[in-house]
Amino acid sequence: MAKQPTPILSARGVRKTYVFGAIPVEVLRGADLDVSQGEWVAVLGSSGSGKSTLLHLMGGLDKPDRDGGTIRFQGTEVATTHGARLDLYRNREIGFVFQFYHLLPELNVLENAMLPAMVGHWFAQFSGRAVAARASASALLESFGLGHRLHHRPAQLSGGERQRVAIARALANSPRVLLADEPTGNLDVKTGEGILDLLSERHARGLTVVMVTHDPAVAARADRIVKLTDGRVEDEPPTASKPLKDNE
Amino acid sequence: MYAALLSNRYLTSRLIPFIAIAAVALCVALVVTVVSVMTGFLNMLKDSGRQIVGDVIVSSGIGGMPYADEFVADLRGLTTVQGASALIDTIGLLRMPYPRGDQKEITHVQVWAVDAASLATVTDYANDLYWKPPANAAAAAALAADDPRRHLDASILEDGKSLVESRTGTPGIALGMHVSVGNARQRDGSYLPRFGWFMPDCDVTLTVVPVSGQGKIAEPREQIFPVVNEVQTGVYEVDKNRVYIPLKEGQRLLRLDEAPLFDLNAEPDSQGRYPVIGVTPARVTKLLVRAKSGISANALRDQVELAYQAFSKRIESDPSRSARMPEFVNVLTWEQQLRDLITPVEKEREMMRVLFSLIYLVCAGLILSIFWAIVIEKTRDIGILRSVGASRAGVLWIFLRYGFIIGTVGSALGVLMAWGVIRNINAIHEAIGSDAPRAIWIGTFVAAGFCALALVRTIWRGRLLAILLWLLGTSVLTLIATALALHHGTLIWDPSVYYFTIVPDQVDWTTAWSTALGGVLFSVIGAAIPAAKAADIDPVEALRYG
Repeated sequence: MAKQPTPILSARGVRKTYVFGAIPVEVLRGADLDVSQGEWVAVLGSSGSGKSTLLHLMGGLDKPDRDGGTIRFQGTEVATTHGARLDLYRNREIGFVFQFYHLLPELNVLENAMLPAMVGHWFAQFSGRAVAARASASALLESFGLGHRLHHRPAQLSGGERQRVAIARALANSPRVLLADEPTGNLDVKTGEGILDLLSERHARGLTVVMVTHDPAVAARADRIVKLTDGRVEDEPPTASKPLKDNE
Repeated sequence: MYAALLSNRYLTSRLIPFIAIAAVALCVALVVTVVSVMTGFLNMLKDSGRQIVGDVIVSSGIGGMPYADEFVADLRGLTTVQGASALIDTIGLLRMPYPRGDQKEITHVQVWAVDAASLATVTDYANDLYWKPPANAAAAAALAADDPRRHLDASILEDGKSLVESRTGTPGIALGMHVSVGNARQRDGSYLPRFGWFMPDCDVTLTVVPVSGQGKIAEPREQIFPVVNEVQTGVYEVDKNRVYIPLKEGQRLLRLDEAPLFDLNAEPDSQGRYPVIGVTPARVTKLLVRAKSGISANALRDQVELAYQAFSKRIESDPSRSARMPEFVNVLTWEQQLRDLITPVEKEREMMRVLFSLIYLVCAGLILSIFWAIVIEKTRDIGILRSVGASRAGVLWIFLRYGFIIGTVGSALGVLMAWGVIRNINAIHEAIGSDAPRAIWIGTFVAAGFCALALVRTIWRGRLLAILLWLLGTSVLTLIATALALHHGTLIWDPSVYYFTIVPDQVDWTTAWSTALGGVLFSVIGAAIPAAKAADIDPVEALRYG
């Protein structure tokens, strides 16, 4: 049996409860998930199963319940981290991609892609790195086929283009892990395939990807698929051969 | 960096920040304008007060002060004194030359019997004489065709300065500019004779009542004076009430002149006259003293008090003197003398400052509500920013910076607006006081007509917001045009109420900067609550928003 790689991101016994009105709803009930360095994990689950919640918790956007398990990034506890360290974690180690792109409408494509670089530095610090950050973001966008769209606003882009900008933004600070929440959920099949190709290409270069989806066909692009059912990562089958795409 | 970028973009990509900027600008402009005008008014009052009465005023009782000439000479000997002048201040009745016929108008006046030459060294009397020939041909050409100053002889100014009609050698009187209703003030501040009553061509009769030191009233005495000139100090209260006559005439009329001193204990002669044992000196009731440049009025007052005590002792110790100096005299600075005038204006200004500063709260409330709406609209953006690592402080700073920019730009515009209004306030006042130009109200009616046409078009298309806006535009423009057409001039700054004939037109920069600072501060305070709310937004909730 091959030796399992050390998890870069690990969720253990994670519980999360939301309160809707006066009614507590336990979304995650002790979810466990280990993600290895360079792995692409697809979290499959139905709507409302807690997939996005798990992603948010792993990305440090949300906190588990009190005594609601641990989330570790390279062995360091994320769930109990606060303030500037948590901000830095989100800025440097994690890249988020959302179903609805979540681009800032007032900024153009290049500015959106440079946002993490701007956020991660003070004005004076960034001034010295602005040229490099701009060049890096431009190169990334050009590699995504958006070189001609750098100064367009998000409203002027198609859905697929917006999602590519969102991926470029997520990758701007060269994070170790990309967390993608239904990245193709708002796109047609062909455009969605293009986005998955993009992720696949980045994954091939060593990027760790955790992608949540309700679509088994999309999940099939991952190295490993886990299912989230009743608030638990129920099924973690051994890594299977990645199904080939039609054109592969 | 991103905070600067985003606050700039939030600022320039929508209309609502510009409304907030306009609101801040209007608030600041209002406060700066009102307080500046009030401060200017107060400064004018103080400056004019000093120009009218000098730095220090020595006042005695109704019996007057003897040996004034000697005391004035003593005062002039002080190194701190630029000039000193003695006068009598009393009240009188002035019989005007108008209307035609026997029944003439009689007005009560404040009579200053003065030595005009020395008065000019203490006050601006000589410069305040209104009727003077133009300095040169260019100045003459600048005057209106019917302005009497175009044809004045140089002697009128000299007559005013000496209070003597040089043509006849008769003692003359100079009237305050608003004593006579014959002076019609023009919009440019000049005066034209009303109904042909050019006062320097007329005579007036002054009646005064001599009062003894014991307060006994003697027979009123009157004298006809030719009007030699008129005086415009710029302070309406003075120009409306005061007349100037020669000191000697005043002393004579009021029986304060030099007179023989009779021995009432001796037997009268065959004609019933008591023997003369000396002379009672002439008296005055006031001394005006002007300080040299750089000497404060308070310092001068102390010196004048000491000088008076020394002078009084000297007179007391001189057995040849037939009169004694009054035991008590009031020695006041011009500010103390005019306290009744200055203090209410100072209080009025502070009250205005406080009342108008409440506008800051309106400003902060406005910014708060606008920012609250913006934060709600931008909730998802906040979630996005947090997801890429933005801190709470970073989010807070975006909105605080946004408020700071709105406050700074609004305050700067407000100060600029106030500066424009204040510098042109007299022209604006004149415009408000005139009929609205026909072209403007006709033009406004035409614009209202275009709005009405657009309204009909939008009604045809049935778009509710456009209908409402065009209806509003039509109504407002029609109202403005009607108001302009019916406007026939309104005198807002009535000189009879506000003392001065012009509106102060200098910006009070201390108030301007402090108000602008307040505008910025309250804009930031107004932004702080929504900014804190934005910083507290849960990123996951924010991402789900909308």
